[in-house]
Amino acid sequence: MLSIKNLQASVEEKEILKGLDLEVKPGEVHAIMGPNGAGKSTMGYVMSGREGYEVNEGSVTLDGVDLLGLEAEERARAGLFLAFQYPVEIPGVSNLEFMKAAVDAQREAKGEEAVSSKDFLKMAREACKQVHLPAEFLKRGVNEGFSGGEKKRNEIMQMLLLKPKLCILDESDSGLDIDALQVVAEGVNSQRSPDRSFIVVTHYQRLLDYIKPDFVHVLSDGKIVKSGDASLALELEEQGYNWLTEQREQSA
Amino acid sequence: MSDWLGRAVSRAEQVSDWLSPQRQASLALLREAQWPTRKTEAWKYTPVHVLADAEFAAAANSELAAAEAIEGLNSIELVFTDGVLQSELSQLPEGLTIVPLADASSETRQWAAEAFSAAKPSKHLFGLVNDVLATAGVIIDVAEGVSIEPVIRIVHRIGKDCEAHNRVLVRIAKNASVTVVEDFSGEEKSFNTGYAEYTLAESASLEHYRFALQTGAALSVGGSHFNLADKAQLNSTLVGFGSELSRLDVDVNHTGEHAFAKLNAIYLLDGNELFDLHSTIEHMVPNGTTEENVRGIVADHSRAVFNGRIHIHRDAQKTLAELNNRNLLMSRDAEINTKPELEIYADDVRCAHGATIAEIDKGALYYLRSRGVSKAQAQIMLSFGFINELVDQMPNQVLAEWLRPQLRQRFANMEVK
Ligand SMILES: Nc1ncnc2c1ncn2[C@@H]1O[C@H](COP(=O)(O)OP(=O)(O)OP(=O)(O)O)[C@@H](O)[C@H]1O
Ligand SMILES: [Mg+2]
Repeated sequence: MLSIKNLQASVEEKEILKGLDLEVKPGEVHAIMGPNGAGKSTMGYVMSGREGYEVNEGSVTLDGVDLLGLEAEERARAGLFLAFQYPVEIPGVSNLEFMKAAVDAQREAKGEEAVSSKDFLKMAREACKQVHLPAEFLKRGVNEGFSGGEKKRNEIMQMLLLKPKLCILDESDSGLDIDALQVVAEGVNSQRSPDRSFIVVTHYQRLLDYIKPDFVHVLSDGKIVKSGDASLALELEEQGYNWLTEQREQSA
Repeated sequence: MSDWLGRAVSRAEQVSDWLSPQRQASLALLREAQWPTRKTEAWKYTPVHVLADAEFAAAANSELAAAEAIEGLNSIELVFTDGVLQSELSQLPEGLTIVPLADASSETRQWAAEAFSAAKPSKHLFGLVNDVLATAGVIIDVAEGVSIEPVIRIVHRIGKDCEAHNRVLVRIAKNASVTVVEDFSGEEKSFNTGYAEYTLAESASLEHYRFALQTGAALSVGGSHFNLADKAQLNSTLVGFGSELSRLDVDVNHTGEHAFAKLNAIYLLDGNELFDLHSTIEHMVPNGTTEENVRGIVADHSRAVFNGRIHIHRDAQKTLAELNNRNLLMSRDAEINTKPELEIYADDVRCAHGATIAEIDKGALYYLRSRGVSKAQAQIMLSFGFINELVDQMPNQVLAEWLRPQLRQRFANMEVK
């Protein structure tokens, strides 16, 4: 499904990703943890094609397609979805209009017809319901004045509508109350399937109680420094990251 | 005096009606007036030579299709084609009087003569031209305490090679409320001046729209002017497309305390269009509030001029006034000349005031694209959103729904460069 090889990337001349490797097979859930500033969000931005992120080395392929050679919108149409750590507010553009345009664009890329407005409204309402967002949020400007938790739920709502192959959830759990955390996790779990994979970026073991990962990786200083199964997350929760960075310094 | 003004003056000398005393005063000013050049501050960025070179017929001679009604709008329609009122004025709601300018009763004449040029300052050159030449128009009177349910929609349509001068005088009595739409459109070579003056009495309320949607060779100069008495409420939305010459002057005069004026303006320009909006807010007395939001998008080789003046007089303590002008440039060849002017002579006031020229927000663009929306469509959605924020604020949703597709249509034709 996803193959990241020796990815090196920089922002404004500053090297952030320093040789990142990651293999994700269909149906797998990978959790990525790691200290602030390690490059977790950068990884998502680079993969999704944000302007200003320079790739110096390496490759990212999704089902054999070279993502790095595509425009941001083409990557989305290829099946990539990034739930943002900080979703963007866009007053004047309604959530509904935005999602209709996105769904239609992705359908068009697949040679499918646009959905009728009526059918789409039904789909969108259903998606909202699933993440416990009142349907009025469809009429509001994209993320405009949404609370932190509402923004995160809105990201998951978008994921439900777009049905991507590979979802990167960048701290979709931060800022959520306990109930909302469960709602988001259920939204994600409802989408788990043998041909859909997830990369879940989080600081907290808590989310992983709900979304059981197949693998846990620690990203530190621009690369994966340790990988393991779900138990690694518990270990990190107890011990933090220091022991890992110390280990690396000793071995260096 | 220029040839053009000279001709206007000699034509005006032929006009004789019940407004003649008022017209005489303006005629005297016009005789002394200078034709605008680059050095004329109020016309610095807006050349009027297209007007000087053009010739128009004063009489109605074009064949225009009937003006389209707005679907779902409960309205009283006053349709002027080539300056001639086509509508019958029967069956008006109680408390509402509408009469053609020419047919004013002696009672109406009394107040209307006083209201003529009361809200509109004499500094507007083409306002003076309108003063002396506008024999067409309507007078609207809303009686005390009455709320007029239907929207009064004044439609101006000017056909090819025509010239028309129209004057609207509106009086809204104490505690009364009404909605007035001034609706201009057309693209054929023509010239019109349309000036409207509104007098709001104590606690009167006006919802106002001016759609200056002329394009192409439809030359248009006009204005909407408001006098606000104590606690009067004005909510006005202006929408402008551009043409070879399209100029709008707006004056809001806080003559009574605790009046509130909300002014939203949108312009959306393409091709070689020009649109010029000058607004002046006069806070003459204490405790007035003004919120003015002006947003524009200029594409291709088009040009927008915005001059927003707020004048807070010495006695106007506790004034709250905000003016914000934001512009989106869609092409390197487009041009914006924006100049907010703040003149404050009172010391206890709160004023904010700013103009920006921006490009499309990169973060928002990326966000839309990251969901699969193409760059071109995302740019259109974002720039439409920028304008749509003000359309969303229009109190009349039927009008908003009517306007949106027209704005969208403009976007669909715009090229992002
Ligand atoms: N535009 C930029 N200019 C300079 N440095 C940047 C820029 N964007 C990101 N960085 C830096 O890149 C590093 C990685 O940032 P990133 O957001 O990927 O971290 P993260 O692992 O997601 O952290 P967190 O857990 O706090 O979300 C940080 O040190 C950050 O300051
Ligand atoms: Mg991050």
